[in-house]
Amino acid sequence: MPVVRRRSSLIRSPQFSSLVILIVLLAVFAIADANFLSPLNISNMMAFLPELGIIALGMTLLLTAGEFDLSVGAVFGLAPVVVMLLVQNGGFDIGIALLAGLVLCIAIGAINGLIVTKIGISSFLVTLSMLLVVRGAALYITQGFPLKSWDQPGFFVTLLAGSFNIGTFRFYTSLWWFIGLSLLAIYVLRYAKLGNWISAIGSNRNAAVARGVPADAVKIWLFILTSMLAGLAGMISAFRISAASPVAGTGYELEVIAMVVVGGTALTGGRGTILGTIVGALMLRSIRNGIVLIGVPGLAYNIFVGVIILAMLILHALLQKNAARS
Amino acid sequence: MEVLRLHNLQKSFGSVRALKSASFTLNEGEVVALLGDNGAGKSTLIKAISGVFPVDRGEIYVRGQKVSIRSTRDAMDLGIETIHQDTSLAPDLSIARNLFLGREPVNLKWLGVFAPLDLANLRDAASALLKRVGISKKLDADALVSTLSGGERQSIAISRAMQFAAKVIILDEPTNNLGVEETHGVLRFVKEVRDAGHSVLLITHNIHHVFQVADRIIVMRHGEIVAEQTVADTDLLTVESIITGADMSALLRETRAK
Ligand SMILES: Nc1ncnc2c1ncn2[C@@H]1O[C@H](COP(=O)(O)OP(=O)(O)OP(=O)(O)O)[C@@H](O)[C@H]1O
Ligand SMILES: [Mg+2]
Repeated sequence: MPVVRRRSSLIRSPQFSSLVILIVLLAVFAIADANFLSPLNISNMMAFLPELGIIALGMTLLLTAGEFDLSVGAVFGLAPVVVMLLVQNGGFDIGIALLAGLVLCIAIGAINGLIVTKIGISSFLVTLSMLLVVRGAALYITQGFPLKSWDQPGFFVTLLAGSFNIGTFRFYTSLWWFIGLSLLAIYVLRYAKLGNWISAIGSNRNAAVARGVPADAVKIWLFILTSMLAGLAGMISAFRISAASPVAGTGYELEVIAMVVVGGTALTGGRGTILGTIVGALMLRSIRNGIVLIGVPGLAYNIFVGVIILAMLILHALLQKNAARS
Repeated sequence: MEVLRLHNLQKSFGSVRALKSASFTLNEGEVVALLGDNGAGKSTLIKAISGVFPVDRGEIYVRGQKVSIRSTRDAMDLGIETIHQDTSLAPDLSIARNLFLGREPVNLKWLGVFAPLDLANLRDAASALLKRVGISKKLDADALVSTLSGGERQSIAISRAMQFAAKVIILDEPTNNLGVEETHGVLRFVKEVRDAGHSVLLITHNIHHVFQVADRIIVMRHGEIVAEQTVADTDLLTVESIITGADMSALLRETRAK
């Protein structure tokens, strides 16, 4: 009996329904345009996927703990800009500059986390303000101009944005980062003690605290992690296109949150799924890519993206209701 | 034998003196009922004992040793388990994960918070615990708490406290919102817990329950303890009058005299 129950709960689970929709979408795009599954197009999608996907992993953990971060897109823009300024204008070694960028991301995440947990302002307001501060800082220190990024090959470029070919496919090392970080995140959320705490905090913070779970510390570390991942993704992107723009990552916060909730993570906390987020990231990337190929006019993209996100959320909500009733 | 002793505990929230001064003793194998009207300071008192917030003044002694309880973890480590008025479970987690929340069995302990849960052990221990409290027939340890009834949730919370409390179990209005059947279940638990040698501090608004399970009664009013009596030495009417502050027995005597 329990076996049957578990199987049906898997089918009803949000990540499963997202996966089904992803496969349907991929099939539709593939039938509509043969180029969709061409090596070039797949390589293209795989180049973009990790940059938002890496941020989405941190965002999933944060949402599961009941908070979110709107400053990730701005951090994505600021980190490479600061690193490149230190190298080009400050004459610092690239390694030192990257370390400084990392410290900056940690500081931004820590400030977010401390204000949210210790002063008790909602993360929506705190990170919205932080978005403005961080984006404003990026614009101010560059005077609004993009910087030429580091284009000399070297250890760090290879580490973050190196590329390699498998047959006719061209992949970036960022894909390995995404896969590695995904596996880590799956482990932490599902199998580690910390994951139990994260879910419990998002589900009922007072209950978790009453059991001795250090809820504030966990949240602060998750804000730091999310900021660090946003900065990492920003560096990967800047190295890949050899440019650091102060407006890079604009709007990414919402795209990332969309990936996470489309995958089945609850915006209200307590229920998070990394597998769902991976599916969500794949889905949003392939939608953006596919609707171009099938000839939807550029200005109409967001209509499609919005409608599909809404449809996914409605589906999750209906499944949730159904599960509660049975 | 004395298990828990409070001396002159005080706590204010801004200008609200929620706890003006509270002193009492809880003995081994004893059920003490903490009574008082809404806002009397009962929850504040037990939150102070269970480490939800620090007290402004006063001392807490566990088995005669003066202790400082600065966090919920401190209280748990001292053997004080609390089931709060606002439910103590995380609805999105399974029963098993809730039962061991904060005290998860893990492998590779040196990994700290990143240590993998010992899932097999978690399940088995949870099932054993459910069996012990007699609700295993109905409940699967892997079921999500959000799918349980209020009474089932309360039973889970109480069995968790039984599992870990070496000394003291505190229940803040455990029968709130429960049906008749479930209420009896909770009261039966309280007796079992006492018989197993634990001490229980029970907060409730239902005086009938008090007379069914408690050995002693403590009444709070406006942040102070105003009466302390053994159940055998008092009656329902007297207790009610102490709670409200109106001297009902005096009233009764007057009417009788007329
Ligand atoms: N966190 C808080 N901040 C400010 N005031 C508080 C806080 N907690 C409790 N109080 C106040 O302290 C007083 C005592 O509250 P407490 O919750 O201890 O009452 P209680 O005896 O448990 O009541 P009830 O029977 O309604 O649960 C009340 O006046 C309440 O408004
Ligand atoms: Mg109360």
